[in-house]
Amino acid sequence: MKVLAAALFIAFSFASYAQAQEKVLTIDLAKNTVDISAGFTGSDLVLFGVKKGPGHVAVVIQGPKKDMVVRRKENAMGLWFNRHGLEFEDVPVYYDYALSAPVDKMGGEEALRKNGIGLDSLTFKPDMWRDDPAYSQNFQEGLIRNKQAEGLFPLKPKEVTFLDDDFFRATFYMPSNVPTGRYEVHSYLIRNGAVADVRTTELNVGQVGMEARIHKFARKQSFTYGVLCVAMAVLAGWAANMIRRRD
Amino acid sequence: MQIYLPIAEMTVPVESIFLLGTFVGFLSGVFGIGGGFLATPFLIFMGIPPAVAVGTQANQLVAASFSGMMAHWRKGNVDVQMGSVMMAGGLVGSLIGIFVFKMLQVLGQIDFIISILYVLFLGTVGLLMLYESFFSFFKKKTVRSEFNSQKLSPFFMALPYKMRFPRSKLYISALVPAGIGFLGGLMVSIMGIGGGFLLVPAMIYVLGMPTLLVAGTSLFQIIFTSAFAAVMHAVANHTLDMVLAILLISGGVIGARAGASVSRTITGAHARIILAILVLTVCTQLGAQLFIRPAELYSTVVRK
Repeated sequence: MKVLAAALFIAFSFASYAQAQEKVLTIDLAKNTVDISAGFTGSDLVLFGVKKGPGHVAVVIQGPKKDMVVRRKENAMGLWFNRHGLEFEDVPVYYDYALSAPVDKMGGEEALRKNGIGLDSLTFKPDMWRDDPAYSQNFQEGLIRNKQAEGLFPLKPKEVTFLDDDFFRATFYMPSNVPTGRYEVHSYLIRNGAVADVRTTELNVGQVGMEARIHKFARKQSFTYGVLCVAMAVLAGWAANMIRRRD
Repeated sequence: MQIYLPIAEMTVPVESIFLLGTFVGFLSGVFGIGGGFLATPFLIFMGIPPAVAVGTQANQLVAASFSGMMAHWRKGNVDVQMGSVMMAGGLVGSLIGIFVFKMLQVLGQIDFIISILYVLFLGTVGLLMLYESFFSFFKKKTVRSEFNSQKLSPFFMALPYKMRFPRSKLYISALVPAGIGFLGGLMVSIMGIGGGFLLVPAMIYVLGMPTLLVAGTSLFQIIFTSAFAAVMHAVANHTLDMVLAILLISGGVIGARAGASVSRTITGAHARIILAILVLTVCTQLGAQLFIRPAELYSTVVRK
């Protein structure tokens, strides 16, 4: 399937490459959905692209933005529990990026950050204004460590690999706990530290099949769903008793 | 084999969940307990969000208590009237428990409160059980038999709404059993346990109910309280995971059968010592987490 998709894409992209001469960057995902079914244990996500002319390529993939609460445990009377918290607005639930060259060859960290590439480019907006920037900074670093531990933020950038001079591929990984929703994929062509072209495509991460139906049922008709679960439990309890009695 | 849980939104190994269900079912077969005190912490250890663990466990309790109650029902050991009064208190308790749970979640204290409550309850019950079973093991008699005919304390006697309970041969204020049920309801909603280990002694020592009726009657009310809590968790918090529930319950049915046959071959005192050690192990595990400096002090949750 993957091979076929890639082959089709190559054929397609060279055709469009010939047509759209003014386009300097073209990208597409091998599959623009991530389907979470019963056996989902994580999934690779492959992006192909073609660039025209010189320059480096950066790809950023970003999940839907949510408000997140970060809490810090502190010790009181020998016990460790959450004492202080800070809420950040519009934090992407998933973030990863790939680069075709080391950071300094792509114009340096500052240039990448300005163009919205890399973890440093994410602006974490605390919901409360604080006098002490170090306070917010600690919570922000805590958030990034938490997300990295869950595999939802990268520890280091992935690689964009060139299959020939112009045709490239970037592979990302979505772990089994990947949040559902609409994801955005941005690809940048960077020439001399400046963005020459940006392409955007969307990706849908969602539950499918039986899992999706249960999830929808639980949300849309939560009362019926609850009663059904309880009825099932009663039936199982009755069955357990019958089995025991027969012995 | 891995399976994706649609409500918890994560992947878990089928075998571990099924084994946990079997083990809990086994315990309920041997000791006649719901086993929620073991299942809920284990689900949380496995990384299942505490809210989903508690919500789904409430549902599992319906199965365990229904099966247990049937056996007592057949022998006529259920005081339906007493059970219904307790249930009235239990429904109120579990409703309030749902809101307390949600509030603690917003405040970010739910994990801490669940752990603290478990440590306190399990520690107390485990030590009492160990003490009692060692005692009976050496003296070859039960320690508490002399308390059975204890009367209500003057405070409880003075309460209004007196009611006759012919089956239990009691004339007491309905507020006392309703209050005990209320505590049980709180425990179902907040901790995901039926609370039989607290209700049973309370019914014997506070209400003065005949020992024979206690287990069946407490299971009778736990069915309704936990069913109510499960539906409320599904409606108010969306934290009842059907796939997780099916795995736990089907494991439970098999475990209960094995447990029932084992229960005929081991003596009560031995069984209680094993159970006490098990309870204290879970207690220590949970307690250690509260006192040892965590490797990561920060934690992040998505605000719903």
